[in-house]
Amino acid sequence: MLDIKSLSASVDGKRILEGFDLKIKPGEVHAIMGPNGSGKSTLANVLTGKNGYEIKGQVLYQGKDLLNLPIEERAQKGLFLAFQYPLEIPGVNTNNFLKTSLNTIRKIKGLNELDSLDFLKLVKEKSQKLKIEEKILSRQLNVGFSGGEKKKNEILQMTILEPKFAILDETDSGLDIDALRIVSDGVNSLRNKNRSFLIITHYQRLLDYIKPDFVHVLVNGRIVKTGCSDLAQELEKDGYEGVATR
Amino acid sequence: MTNLKFEQFKKSNLKLKELDSIRVKNFKKFETKGFPTKKQEHWKYTDLKNIISRDFDELNIFSENKLSKINNNFLIKNFEHNQIILLNGNFIDSNFDLEDKKRISVKSLKDSFRIKKDFDEIKNFFEDDQNSLITLNNALTNDGVIFKIDDNYSFKKPLIIYNFFNKSSHNKIINNKVFLTLGSGSQLSLIDYYESEDNIKYFNNSIHNYSIKKNAILKKYNINNNLNKSYNYNSTKVKSYSNSVFENFLLSTGPNLIKNEVHCDLLESFSSCFINSIMLLKDEQHHELKTNVNHLYEDCKSSQLVKSVLLNSSNGTYQGKIYVDKNAQKTNGYQLSKALILSENSEFNSKPELEIYADDVKCSHGSTSGNIDENSIFYLMSRGLTKDQARKMIIKGFLNEVIETITDLNVKKLISELFIDNMNKTTL
Repeated sequence: MLDIKSLSASVDGKRILEGFDLKIKPGEVHAIMGPNGSGKSTLANVLTGKNGYEIKGQVLYQGKDLLNLPIEERAQKGLFLAFQYPLEIPGVNTNNFLKTSLNTIRKIKGLNELDSLDFLKLVKEKSQKLKIEEKILSRQLNVGFSGGEKKKNEILQMTILEPKFAILDETDSGLDIDALRIVSDGVNSLRNKNRSFLIITHYQRLLDYIKPDFVHVLVNGRIVKTGCSDLAQELEKDGYEGVATR
Repeated sequence: MTNLKFEQFKKSNLKLKELDSIRVKNFKKFETKGFPTKKQEHWKYTDLKNIISRDFDELNIFSENKLSKINNNFLIKNFEHNQIILLNGNFIDSNFDLEDKKRISVKSLKDSFRIKKDFDEIKNFFEDDQNSLITLNNALTNDGVIFKIDDNYSFKKPLIIYNFFNKSSHNKIINNKVFLTLGSGSQLSLIDYYESEDNIKYFNNSIHNYSIKKNAILKKYNINNNLNKSYNYNSTKVKSYSNSVFENFLLSTGPNLIKNEVHCDLLESFSSCFINSIMLLKDEQHHELKTNVNHLYEDCKSSQLVKSVLLNSSNGTYQGKIYVDKNAQKTNGYQLSKALILSENSEFNSKPELEIYADDVKCSHGSTSGNIDENSIFYLMSRGLTKDQARKMIIKGFLNEVIETITDLNVKKLISELFIDNMNKTTL
């Protein structure tokens, strides 16, 4: 699915990722944990195609070069990022945005575009699962949403767009315990043998709900330790420093 | 420019002696002042004199030997409405079949020139004014509408005043006036709709005077949507009485040049005035909105929301003044202007002004301008939208916030459709 080979990224001459390697196979769930400033969000941004980074190295996505693809083509080919800080877009109706996004991607896939009725049916079904109040979807995109509503809205977009590879950037931060469980259920319901996840988080708690196949510890722009889901519990106990230097 | 001489002027075929002398007096006054130049504070951002002397050669009372017919394709379809049709400023038709006609009086201004009793009612509005374009209009106005609505009459459907211009108006300066009196407790949605045939270049100097009586509600929509080569000055003066509401929405996207002025006097308690506008400008378009809200009595409310998007080499200006008289305690005044400047060659000027003489008031204003936030574009693109789609969606959303303020839902739907159509045709 994804093969990252000695990836380096810097902003204004400052190295953030340095010789980063990671291989994710179809159906796998990988978690990346690491201290503040270790490069977690940069990794998410670079994979999604955000401008402003000087990049070296290679990333293959489904066997093809990812880094030269424009942002929208990555999304159209099934890559999805659930934002750490979802943007507020004033005046843009949430449902209209979702519909435009879904139909753009469906068109590229050669599927027929959904009309308003079918679309609303789909949104209704998906939003109910995530316990999202339907009325917030007729509001402006993320404007006036609570922190939890914004994060749920990201997961809603993911369940509607059905990506092949999804990155969740600190989706758990700002969620209360109930919301965390609902969001995790949403993610777990999407897990299958063809779909992969990269979950970026600070806390082990999320990984109690979404069991990863691998946990990686990111320090100073590179993976210093890889293990199974038990690693997350060790981190919780001993801290990044304790685990990384062991 | 060859100015009209008084001798010629007197020879004009005028019927009412009193009007003749008013015209002459105003014309003399205009001659000393001339068209406004950038040296005048209120015209700092729009150099009208240059444009007029370059593009127009005749200053006269506009007249047509034979009134042409209007092209029905221009009429708005699938939208039930009453209509008044002005062609090149001349009143040619009206239709109020949807309303109780006994409660409404519609006359052409030209007709009132022939009847002393009618003319006496509006004569005060021809008094000389500081504004040279109004004196010009007083001297040369050819026609227009005098429109009165009884007390306690709510219109069933909106009224569209069609302002059409065809080739007869090419290279002409056309002056007209609209008078509206909305009786106590009455309600009207009025759409002032401008449209011209292709490639016609005219200067339309249109002066509106409204009186909104106690408890009445006037919702007024200026629609200048389709691209055209015209130059326009459109000044509206509103007198608002106790507990009345004046809502004005302006869609300013079509003409080559337009200066819209809205002056509203809040004369009695609990009257309110809301002016909201969209400017979407491209190529060499030059649009200006000037609002003057005068709080002259206590407990009145006003707000303005102006959003502008500037592309190519366009130029937009918003001058907004809120004046609060010393009697106008408990005033609530609000003003916000936001602009997206999307091209290095475009320009936006904003001049907010607060002049407050009362001590117990709540007034605020703000003005921002900038480009589209790159992070917002990234967010939308990460959901599969192209950069163009993302930018358009953000711009539409930015301007849509103003459309959302429209309280007449039928009109909102109409304007929303016109606007979306316009956006879809716009290349960013």
